[in-house]
Amino acid sequence: MVITTDCLLAAPIVTTLAAVPPGLDLEASFEAAFQGFGLSPGAAHLLWLPLPMLLVLVAAVVGVLVNVWLERKISAAVQQRIGPEYAGALGVLQPIADGLKLLFKEDVIPARADGLLFTLGPVLVLIPVILSWLVVPFGQHLLISNVGIGIFLWISLSSIQPIGLLMSGYASNNKYSLLGGLRAAAQSISYEIPLALAVLAVVMMSNSLSTVDIVNQQSGAGILSWNIWRQPVGFVIFWICALAECERLPFDLPEAEEELVAGYQTEYSGMKFALFYLGSYINLVLSALLVSVLYLGGWGFPLPVEWLAGWLHQPIDAPLVQLITASVGIVMTVLKAYLLVFLAILLRWTTPRVRIDQLLDLGWKFLLPIALVNLLVTAALKLAFPAVFGG
Amino acid sequence: MFGFLKKVADYTRDAVGASQYLAQGLAVTFDHLRRRPVTVQYPYEKLIPSERYRGRIHYEFDKCIACEVCVRVCPINLPVVDWVMNKATKKKELRNYSIDFGVCIFCGNCVEYCPTNCLSMTEEYELAAFDRHSLNYDNIALGRLPTSVTSDPAVIALRELAYLPKGEMDPHGVPDTSPRAGQLPQALLDSWAESEAAAPASTTTAAPQEQG
Repeated sequence: MVITTDCLLAAPIVTTLAAVPPGLDLEASFEAAFQGFGLSPGAAHLLWLPLPMLLVLVAAVVGVLVNVWLERKISAAVQQRIGPEYAGALGVLQPIADGLKLLFKEDVIPARADGLLFTLGPVLVLIPVILSWLVVPFGQHLLISNVGIGIFLWISLSSIQPIGLLMSGYASNNKYSLLGGLRAAAQSISYEIPLALAVLAVVMMSNSLSTVDIVNQQSGAGILSWNIWRQPVGFVIFWICALAECERLPFDLPEAEEELVAGYQTEYSGMKFALFYLGSYINLVLSALLVSVLYLGGWGFPLPVEWLAGWLHQPIDAPLVQLITASVGIVMTVLKAYLLVFLAILLRWTTPRVRIDQLLDLGWKFLLPIALVNLLVTAALKLAFPAVFGG
Repeated sequence: MFGFLKKVADYTRDAVGASQYLAQGLAVTFDHLRRRPVTVQYPYEKLIPSERYRGRIHYEFDKCIACEVCVRVCPINLPVVDWVMNKATKKKELRNYSIDFGVCIFCGNCVEYCPTNCLSMTEEYELAAFDRHSLNYDNIALGRLPTSVTSDPAVIALRELAYLPKGEMDPHGVPDTSPRAGQLPQALLDSWAESEAAAPASTTTAAPQEQG
């Protein structure tokens, strides 16, 4: 499913693909193995297709479990508590216990609510978030689909989410839910724009919307070539907007429990509530992964693995080296993402919640102009120093 | 032109200031990560209530003379004293006594004014019940003694901060024998007596200060 990259802007594709070693291509080896058993290429491909999808779905859910546990443990540590400790060692089974509880809870649809929209809302929130995992790369070939419009696909999918939030808020027939839904929609729409502009600056540098190309463009000189040094402002803008999109604490107005009970989730219980819960945490992990892809060099090790292999006099194409490279790539991606998740959790206990007018002020009067200036400066730098800022 | 530039400069200064405050806050929360938990793991660990703790009221039926002083000093006349006059002996005969702890505010006035000391305050504070009417204690229930935290084998008793040795902040792992900071009243009196015995001529000018 590795499609050749094409740029939305029809700009000349100047990627460093040729310079980068092919890395571990599980798909090709899997299909070759099954063709060796006498299967047709189509059948082998069909056999392969569900595997990465299932794997990513499992990874996303496990990521949420880890995230919930980290959230509770780090929150506890920040507040000098212990946190969950009786469900499993150090409380690692606590998220599973929470999930099981939600699974067995009664699924209530309020009498005056719109049953169809009420049910559709959480589904519409969760599905785009899971779909966005399509484009998250864990290695050169370790992603479900290297679509050419990768990062743009994520931006467009994430703008489906506010529809689901508004839908569930409106269908609950409850003033708190409605207010929460409206706030969620307003917030998501306002922060989408600076987010897209920040991404655009990165895309301009890498001449591609594909997440793989964006990472490859940062892989020249290890930590020094990561986008965070060339796009520090963009990084901050992207991180703030990602927090707002995930409704994390400085921006958790849609579910502000002191004012709105639980916002759009007020009337939800059981599995429908669990879908919201899952959606918000998958979204947080996803945003952290994308920050690491866009700004922190994705699967890149702080020192390029090619250099390390060269120093150790190992051929980069050797199977063992490829395996180690792929594992290091996965570990690095996840590590970077979870460092950002840690930062998000720490921010949660550091910053107070902003008011709705402060939120919109920050979005429209601060982030949007800064993002525009950032884009212009990036364009100017790209023209002035094409070697450094992607010619 | 310069007005606009000044606005931009002010705006930038505000943004930089805001990010500085944010970094300061993050430093505080990050520093708390390495500190020990200060929580008491409640059902397994409990704090020892202080000596003057005003918990559930204890009542001794046999001492009571049914004078109803407790009712008069109670802010809401809560204790119910059920007595009849025995015409033959011309004395009050107490039949029942009850206090509703769902309504009591534990002010301790009744304990303070009881002429025969039949009322006293215990260290019991776990009064949760499924039905508020079960908090209406009669004289039998009022006569029960609470389980002491220190003698309960299922509970690790922890000392409150004021009862810990000097400089100790965490009650976990402090041995029972280590004395609390400062002196108990009796030790204070003893040291007074000693100092007066040592210097009978001089007046008690320098009373020993309580340590800590």
